[in-house]
Amino acid sequence: MTSHSGDIQLDTSGATGPVHAVQRLLTKYPIHKNYNVRVFVQAILTIWAIMSFTFVLVRFMPGNPVDILIEQILTQEGISYQEAYDRVAASFNIDPNASMLDQYLDWFTDLLRLDLGTSITSPGTRVVDEIARFLPWTLFAVGSGLLISFVLGIVLGMMMAYYRDSVLDHTLSLISSFFTGVPNYIWGLLIIIGPGISWRWFDVGAARGTYDPGLTPGLNAAFIASVCEHALLPIITYVLATLGGWMLSMKSSTTSVLNDDYVNVAEARGLKDRRIITSYVGRNAALPLFTQLSISVGFVLGSGVVIEEIFVYWGFGHYLFASIVVRDYTAIQGAVLVLTTAIVLSNLFADLTYGLLDPRVRISGEK
Amino acid sequence: MKAQTAQNLLYAILTIPLGVVGGTFKFLSRLRANRAGFIGFLGLLAYFVLTFIMPGFIPFDSEVNLDEIAGPVGSRIQLAVHADNAELQTFEDLAGLTVGVVDQTGGPSLIAPYADSINIEKYRWTSRRAGPGIRAALVDLTNKEIDAMLIFSKNVEEIRADADDPELQALFAEHIVISNPELGPPHLLGTDTQGRDIATHIVHGGRILILTAFIGGVIATLIALVFGSLSALVGGALDSALTALTNLVLAIPRFPLLVVLAGLIRFDNMLFLGVLIGLLGWPPLMRAIRAQVLSLRERDFVEAARSLGLSTNHIMFREILPNMASYVMINFIFSITFAMYEQIGLLVLGLAPIDDYTWGVMLYFGRSRGTLYNEDGASMALSPVLAIAFFQVCLVLFARALEEVFDPRLRAAV
Repeated sequence: MTSHSGDIQLDTSGATGPVHAVQRLLTKYPIHKNYNVRVFVQAILTIWAIMSFTFVLVRFMPGNPVDILIEQILTQEGISYQEAYDRVAASFNIDPNASMLDQYLDWFTDLLRLDLGTSITSPGTRVVDEIARFLPWTLFAVGSGLLISFVLGIVLGMMMAYYRDSVLDHTLSLISSFFTGVPNYIWGLLIIIGPGISWRWFDVGAARGTYDPGLTPGLNAAFIASVCEHALLPIITYVLATLGGWMLSMKSSTTSVLNDDYVNVAEARGLKDRRIITSYVGRNAALPLFTQLSISVGFVLGSGVVIEEIFVYWGFGHYLFASIVVRDYTAIQGAVLVLTTAIVLSNLFADLTYGLLDPRVRISGEK
Repeated sequence: MKAQTAQNLLYAILTIPLGVVGGTFKFLSRLRANRAGFIGFLGLLAYFVLTFIMPGFIPFDSEVNLDEIAGPVGSRIQLAVHADNAELQTFEDLAGLTVGVVDQTGGPSLIAPYADSINIEKYRWTSRRAGPGIRAALVDLTNKEIDAMLIFSKNVEEIRADADDPELQALFAEHIVISNPELGPPHLLGTDTQGRDIATHIVHGGRILILTAFIGGVIATLIALVFGSLSALVGGALDSALTALTNLVLAIPRFPLLVVLAGLIRFDNMLFLGVLIGLLGWPPLMRAIRAQVLSLRERDFVEAARSLGLSTNHIMFREILPNMASYVMINFIFSITFAMYEQIGLLVLGLAPIDDYTWGVMLYFGRSRGTLYNEDGASMALSPVLAIAFFQVCLVLFARALEEVFDPRLRAAV
């Protein structure tokens, strides 16, 4: 944690100026010592640092979007270079000739107004709109994938803990090693090669995109069915790739809970097994996993790039990859901003809610 | 005094190899109790032999060769001819004749070597896209517009058996025979789109990936170890700074950043990619090691060492590190799997160097050349997929077995 000016308890009542005013305020209301506030400020600083880093980084990538676009216009229409340049410069939110610092300041002030600028390669398209168009598909696929694997993992993990050292436990732990070891895109390729191409359970080509063309998006059965059909393969992939981790975490968590006194007490009280499993063991063992679930959302979002490319699922990862290929600076920044924010917020959420979810932590924290 | 030192030295020199051998045996015998872990260990040995030793004996097949194009095992390129020309069986027999070639796999470069001796007529895989498809080729064959046809086995059979148009099928059945069902020599895993042997590519394609992942793992583990133990042992401002740095790097979307970096830096060398992956991959391990050192620091034996006035240096390297060695080792193996995951992900997207023909590059070509979507060509994508999958699974099995062997708590629980 960086040291704050307010840590120094000086008598600053006589001094003037904004710094001293802040110091006085902090001495009076020590919000910088509040855990939640500190975590929150750190999260915002993290997002800012990573965004600035990305800002500089994308501008060092070889291949300049201005030249790419000028080239495009020149080949499409027979106008002079200067005209093309003027048009490109006008269509940009940023002046291509401005220094990086000026661009940065422009971008930053826009960002404060939640304006991510317009796309460079397809002028006139706002990055915010594009992200809003692509992100829901990925959220749907990743979200349902994670949720399914989380629930499955909790059930299987508890089974492993209950039947420790049995054939079931060994088999499941071997399976979980397979699930954890094999990368998610390899699962994706296996799904395409095996059931998709060799056994022809489904048509890989028809599962491309996010829904069948010709359907009107809305709450009608055909559209929802089509959406689920197209998201099915990515969802299965996310489930397979993350299931092993949940199984193992749940197993070790349940194993430690099973040794706790209150479980013995519950058994001694003659409570039904079913009740002990669900409300005594399961609930307490699953609590730490909710934190992990929250954290993993951010990471899985980022790793969706390859999956969406493999299944040609037009979600957020596809958008990010396409932007990188054409060097659309503003789009890359927007996408990275969304990802970073997702990761930071999910960590923050985990930090702040852990105490709320698990009373044991709250009590030991208050001591 | 001097003699004593020499004696100590001699003793050490004599006992170290003995200790290593004895330790290995002890370790293996313990590992054998864990069947899955032992299999993982054997698998890793097998991978070592496959990727580091076998390339010395098996040359890389880089020769583009039409007559060696084959599908997976058992499904090979076939020569279909008109019933009257059943004696045509090899490439030599085809000299001077008109041959239909399905323009699916190799393209012009493959057919070029034969263009002088054979008249080549190109057909597409399906007639859905522009140009005549396989069915058209078969019609031409029955009409003797072409004398012979090179085609993947299954597709001839499928089209001959397809009862869409009974009249046409009867015509095919009457006039078309497969004169040579297996053109070209056999290959263990079939050949790729250019007629090159896939098995040799698998043998040669793993070494660089494994080395890169290893480098990534070593760098990530070293950084995590240094930062984590410094952070826990020194504490104070350094601890705060390192923890903040860790949280910052942890929040970077790693894979997208690697994708951006791959565009930024022209990776001439896969090993450099390993360094980069290592530089981004240490934070989770750093947190774990910091926690581990913090907990070890409170143990009695460390307290004792501290009360004896021993230096931090001594405490770290003589008291804490030996007690963490297995933990670090296990996490090192896991970080290798992460590095493997990330670099192959980049390769599949076509963002990492493709000069080295690795498993990842095979996947990239398998996808971009469409063999992934073609049952007969699946071997080109399936072979590297399985090679990567089993390597990762072996690593995980081995690491988990180590966890059980080293962690007495787990052993007691299991």
